[in-house]
Amino acid sequence: MNPHANMIIMSSLILGPMITITSSHWVMAWVGLEINMLAIIPLTGQTTTTHEQFEASIKYFLTQAAASSLLLFSIINNVWNTGQFDITQPTNTLSSTMMTAALTMKLGLAPFHYWLPETLQGTTTMMTLILTTWQKLAPLTLLMMINQSLNTSLLVTLSLLSMMIGGWGGLNQTQLRKIMAFSSIAHLGWMTMILTLSTKLTLLTFYTYITLTTTMLLTIKLLETNKMSTAMTSWTKSPMLNATMMLNLMSLAGLPPLTGFMPKWLILQELTKNHMTIIAATSAILSLLSLFFYIRIAYYSTITLPPNMTNYSQQWRHKNQQKPYLPLMIITSSMLTPIMPTFMMIL
Amino acid sequence: MVFFMFLFEVCFVFWIISVASGPSPYYGVVGLVFGAVFGCLMLVGVGGSFISLVLFLIYLGGMLVVFAYSVALTGDPYPSAWRGYVDLFCMVSYVLFVVGAVMYCFDEWSLEGYGDVVMDASGLFSVRMDYVGVSWFYYYGCVMFLIAGWGLLLTLFVVLDLVRGLAWGTIRSI
Repeated sequence: MNPHANMIIMSSLILGPMITITSSHWVMAWVGLEINMLAIIPLTGQTTTTHEQFEASIKYFLTQAAASSLLLFSIINNVWNTGQFDITQPTNTLSSTMMTAALTMKLGLAPFHYWLPETLQGTTTMMTLILTTWQKLAPLTLLMMINQSLNTSLLVTLSLLSMMIGGWGGLNQTQLRKIMAFSSIAHLGWMTMILTLSTKLTLLTFYTYITLTTTMLLTIKLLETNKMSTAMTSWTKSPMLNATMMLNLMSLAGLPPLTGFMPKWLILQELTKNHMTIIAATSAILSLLSLFFYIRIAYYSTITLPPNMTNYSQQWRHKNQQKPYLPLMIITSSMLTPIMPTFMMIL
Repeated sequence: MVFFMFLFEVCFVFWIISVASGPSPYYGVVGLVFGAVFGCLMLVGVGGSFISLVLFLIYLGGMLVVFAYSVALTGDPYPSAWRGYVDLFCMVSYVLFVVGAVMYCFDEWSLEGYGDVVMDASGLFSVRMDYVGVSWFYYYGCVMFLIAGWGLLLTLFVVLDLVRGLAWGTIRSI
């Protein structure tokens, strides 16, 4: 892309969520979301070779534009009813329900998740990374700011539905980016489950999810694999990275003692404290579905060797585009559960 | 004063009808310019002096200039003005339509309360009713103004990047 355009677009990509996060006026929050959406549209539409690729950008734009206009309408409804634009004041029921719908549409929660797998599949891996991690920041922050006005039943319903769809939808996938999309849907379900009960835990889940997803997508990018068939033979490129990919996948699934277990455990504890035991048990059972496809990727990439000759060795010519922060991210994505009290204190 | 308002309204309607019934965009732009001038004068007459100046600046100075350039680039080489009885018939029918519409809806349309400055909103607070608040945007709201300007610059670059490739660009491929 043109360097001038790239500079403006990259700085707007950072500026947008910063405006939304630091705003107390609803219009500024909306302006930040719009700047964010405008900045990412040309970035998602850079490759236009296949049919899927150039539809991904348009699908993303249409969904986000519809969500932004719904959010603007609910803001105006809020102003009409309460007479003020402050985010921290409670909203009335209609406004908060419409805001929930708009922000979950932006996040990609069920039942507004249909754009997410195809959009993540149709862009490059770095853009998948940005779409799953950075783009979730602004809508989730707005949801956390209005959490007192939100309807717990609605959010719990949406999150259970997201966990179901994230689990069952990812079972039939072979493309790794689509699997990451369904994992994103399921993790966002966990985040919004606990939103009205404890925003601290939502934030903790979000940070953990960012770490895990970033590590996984950077691993996918370094191994230059996108499908399960190429993931099978990717150990030849970097055996150590393949081994840590298994740890990362188990962490995404939420297995103890890895990092991904920490937010799930705390969420289940918080749910049982609020006497929502059946919901807690249901969400724990639904995470088994996503565990299956994580284990499947780990099985085919790390635990077993693909069918080949016996003398099967590593590639002797390595790529030299290593990411120096990837080892640090692997450590944070595997080993943070023992220092969980630190996180509770910080957050 | 009433005579001035009447004069401005008649001239406004005349120039707008000349735009609507003219066959060429060149002369249509002329009609738009003069119609906008008289529309602004009408606004001054009911008390919206600030909004009239803003309309002059943005509409005449911005959009019409751009429209005139684009018409100059794409217009036909031999533009035709009012041809004869066909356009006269069009103009007369437009005038009759406007007069008929005003007569039909006379009881519902009124400019009452247009020039008021302050209005009471449900007893909770007072709302300022004129458009001078827009000038506050440039002084008290300078941060929002900068962010809005940045958003417009960003939109320009995003649109330029989306229509960049001839046949393989993002929008063209759809």
